[in-house]
Amino acid sequence: MFQRLLVQLLCVAILNLGSPLVAQAGLIGTLEAVEADTRAQDFATVNAVLARDQVRQQFAALGVDPAQVESRLAALTDSELRMLAGQVADAPAGASALAVIGIVFLVLLILEAVGVIDIFKKFP
Amino acid sequence: MRAVRAASLAASAATLALAGCTARGPQLAPANPGAFAPQVELVATPFFPQRDYQCGPAALATVLAAAGVSVQADDLVAEVYLPARRGSLQAEMVAATRSRGLLPYVVQPSMQSLLEQVAEGRPVLILQKTGAGPWPGWHYAVVVGFDTLEDQIVLRSGTSYRLEMPAARFLSTWDRADRWAMVAVAPGEMPANPDFARYMQAAAGLEAIGRIEAATLAYEAAVREWPAEALPLLGLANLAHARGDLAGAEQGFRAAIERAPGDAVARNNRAAVLLELGCPAAARREIHMAAALADAGPHEAAVAATRREIEAANAPDVAGCPPDPAPANSQP
Repeated sequence: MFQRLLVQLLCVAILNLGSPLVAQAGLIGTLEAVEADTRAQDFATVNAVLARDQVRQQFAALGVDPAQVESRLAALTDSELRMLAGQVADAPAGASALAVIGIVFLVLLILEAVGVIDIFKKFP
Repeated sequence: MRAVRAASLAASAATLALAGCTARGPQLAPANPGAFAPQVELVATPFFPQRDYQCGPAALATVLAAAGVSVQADDLVAEVYLPARRGSLQAEMVAATRSRGLLPYVVQPSMQSLLEQVAEGRPVLILQKTGAGPWPGWHYAVVVGFDTLEDQIVLRSGTSYRLEMPAARFLSTWDRADRWAMVAVAPGEMPANPDFARYMQAAAGLEAIGRIEAATLAYEAAVREWPAEALPLLGLANLAHARGDLAGAEQGFRAAIERAPGDAVARNNRAAVLLELGCPAAARREIHMAAALADAGPHEAAVAATRREIEAANAPDVAGCPPDPAPANSQP
């Protein structure tokens, strides 16, 4: 566990050696120009290579077919990858209308709050 | 654990409070009556009933098929479904649209903009949040119609071929998903009432993943729609450069600079192309202006790198280079 963490840390350190501060000479991409003024720029500090790796790992962990991972990554832009990195597991994922369960939960919560039932044991 | 429970109770209470205030008057009355018909329904929109939790692939297939792409919901499962999340991410819905060569235009977050898309004949993929707390109930569906007289929205949703939903209820679920909505636009066409920044974001995304033909059509349409803007010309010039058309690229960047003399990116890119064309002196004049404009901005590092490269080249300009002094249009 610790070794794995160490390896990951070293990878991060090595990847960071060359990349974030060295800008490429030559043409600036259209998307970079478009995103310069938008929120996407907030994520620019995250290394795009790292972000891609992170999303790759998360996709694999969330059950994406290994044969599909690369083509799915290829369809995302750098800023989308940066945005997703670290939050694939939490970002909204449209699934199906589970309103009924939500309502049941709310009813339980209200009953709990007014003291009719006591199923959330650790609740004060 | 306790803190989490308290927070989720507070969040649920907030949701309840919100739900309490959403009962308003009619939701669909257009801001400017006559902007579109009072009742619209795109009855020809195909339907892909969802299986299991796969509303993402089903709803996406609906808008892609309506845009003329031959696709089945099952094909999209491998592209947008996350098995352990039992759902699909917005970014991947956008990406899958893009990788089929369609422009994924994320609609302005207003009911008016949503209805305008439908009124112009494009079904709209939307995200709803139907649940609360640990069961957020994120759900993708497709708006295919509306009725301002009955104040309702018509959806292809889940296993319902035609779901009528009161506008107030639709709005409350859509609101809680930050009013996310997307249309799949054939490249070269425009969404209804397009927003320049949103359109260009989508078009440049096509270029970024290598859908060059689609990006070209999208930029050309943007030049027609917004003739005074520099960015679409910059996009076309970048594409010209990518296919090795240096003269065409230089011309394109020059046209972009004419429209936006303060655009550091266009100047940086023109300077880089001038260097490739064998015109280091002309490149130097342009990159100096780019550097002054990029100072402390997001492109400062990239422009500085181009500048170093240009200043390292000290051969004289070849014949046919822009003469000194620089053309009138390159004054900032």
